[in-house]
Amino acid sequence: MMAYKTPVGLYYSKEHEWVKLEGNLAKVGITDFAQSKLGDVVYVELPEVGKAVLQATEQKSKEMEIGAAESIKAVSSIYSPISGTVKEVNEALKDQPELLNTKPYDEGWLCVIDAKDAAADLKNLIDSKSYEAHIATLE
Amino acid sequence: MKILPLSKIHRKYGAQMVEFAGWEMPLKYIAIADEHMAVRGAAGIFDVSHMGEFKIRGKGALALLQKVTTNDVSKLAIGAAQYSTVLNERGGTRDDVVVYRMGEEDYMLVCNASNVEKIGGWIRKHAKDVEIEDVTMTTVLLAIQGPKALKILQKISSIDLSQIKRFKWAWGDVAGIKVVASRSGYTGEDGIELYLYDVPQSNPAIAEKLWEAIIKAGAPEGLKPCGLGTRDTTRLEAGLCLYGNDLNEEISPLEAKIDFVVKFDKGDFIGREALLKQKENGLKKVKVGLRMIEAGIPRKDHNIFKDGVEIGVVTSGTFSPLIKVGIAMGFVTPDLKIGDRVSIEIHGNKKAAEIVKLPFYDTTRYGYSRVASV
Repeated sequence: MMAYKTPVGLYYSKEHEWVKLEGNLAKVGITDFAQSKLGDVVYVELPEVGKAVLQATEQKSKEMEIGAAESIKAVSSIYSPISGTVKEVNEALKDQPELLNTKPYDEGWLCVIDAKDAAADLKNLIDSKSYEAHIATLE
Repeated sequence: MKILPLSKIHRKYGAQMVEFAGWEMPLKYIAIADEHMAVRGAAGIFDVSHMGEFKIRGKGALALLQKVTTNDVSKLAIGAAQYSTVLNERGGTRDDVVVYRMGEEDYMLVCNASNVEKIGGWIRKHAKDVEIEDVTMTTVLLAIQGPKALKILQKISSIDLSQIKRFKWAWGDVAGIKVVASRSGYTGEDGIELYLYDVPQSNPAIAEKLWEAIIKAGAPEGLKPCGLGTRDTTRLEAGLCLYGNDLNEEISPLEAKIDFVVKFDKGDFIGREALLKQKENGLKKVKVGLRMIEAGIPRKDHNIFKDGVEIGVVTSGTFSPLIKVGIAMGFVTPDLKIGDRVSIEIHGNKKAAEIVKLPFYDTTRYGYSRVASV
């Protein structure tokens, strides 16, 4: 089994997005496990700044989408792990989509969301240890 | 799921395996982009043993092939092959195939993996005085493709491969193993396809020996094992149709712009009347190449618009590892011309694209007719 990075201090969704919370601002990206499954990302579709997004549930809707990552073969939608308004997007991904693969937890972040009710949303997310256990069941 | 004779070898080389047309196939070994660039710049080896092969022999062989395929098999010499299509009565494509003339009344029909049963049934239905043998499960087919493919294979071949011209073939020994070497492929590049017959599923040793010998001869030249991912990106850059995407029972070879496989003057064949009618009435849709102007990757089933009006649909799309832009083939109304601006709806947003000629790459620099020597 491959070892995937799951930094502590981040919150994770079971669908492989991470959240780094600073006050009400949530920086969001995809996990090392997610990027590894996607393969080499060649294009990243970013959300529009100002878009109101909902925390993803099992039943997906357009309002939960914060972009898409495309490899040569496939396209995967990315869903928001937290509700709020898109405040900033990572423009660097437009020219360097590979950052999603090489640095998923720092330079490969996707967007910053101004969280509506971070405390409530965090209850639906898991910590590093639980996420690690979760991906172990998927391999 | 059908297992390739070389399945173990693919795992050894780190392949990610996927299901395709009922077969477990290598999708990629390391990264599609690297494999792709190996094919364009040096060489790649593909295991395409999932392809269907029928041996068709006997007095009625020519008549059968003339009836069920659109190209003129009477013009096919022993030692030659031809690209062709098999049509339904409506002129739609049942499959795109390659017909080899192996001997006097002896042919090989190569069809797509997804269509082996359909085509087998179809040719048997129309057969008279012929013996048809499906050798798909015991035939290993390796495609060595790229500007250095011949140079690599020549090191371990008993025959002069440069004497085999495009779409010709010959028997020869490669790594001491008797194969049919065909100067053909599905990447747009020069290359050879090797047919190794009579490989028992239970004992693939001979096929493994062939694969390993080619890898050994090719590694110093930059040859890489390539999976279906690269098969798709290379064929799409070359503007070649994929059955199930750019060809199906509702698409005629005229619409798919492969008219050169249709020989109306050869006499009757299944679909001829329907194609003549299409010609007379004018085509309703035609295949075009599309290149993104705005960022985005077009995919199958994305709609194509011109001036806000829907005019067609994408049938194949990908990110081109060579040109580093989204490319696609699709079917549009026949009034569209090379250079026309259109838009493709990707994830709900209309993105600008241009109708371009095929193949997508500069043919003086890439593909089998490239000028630059390697």
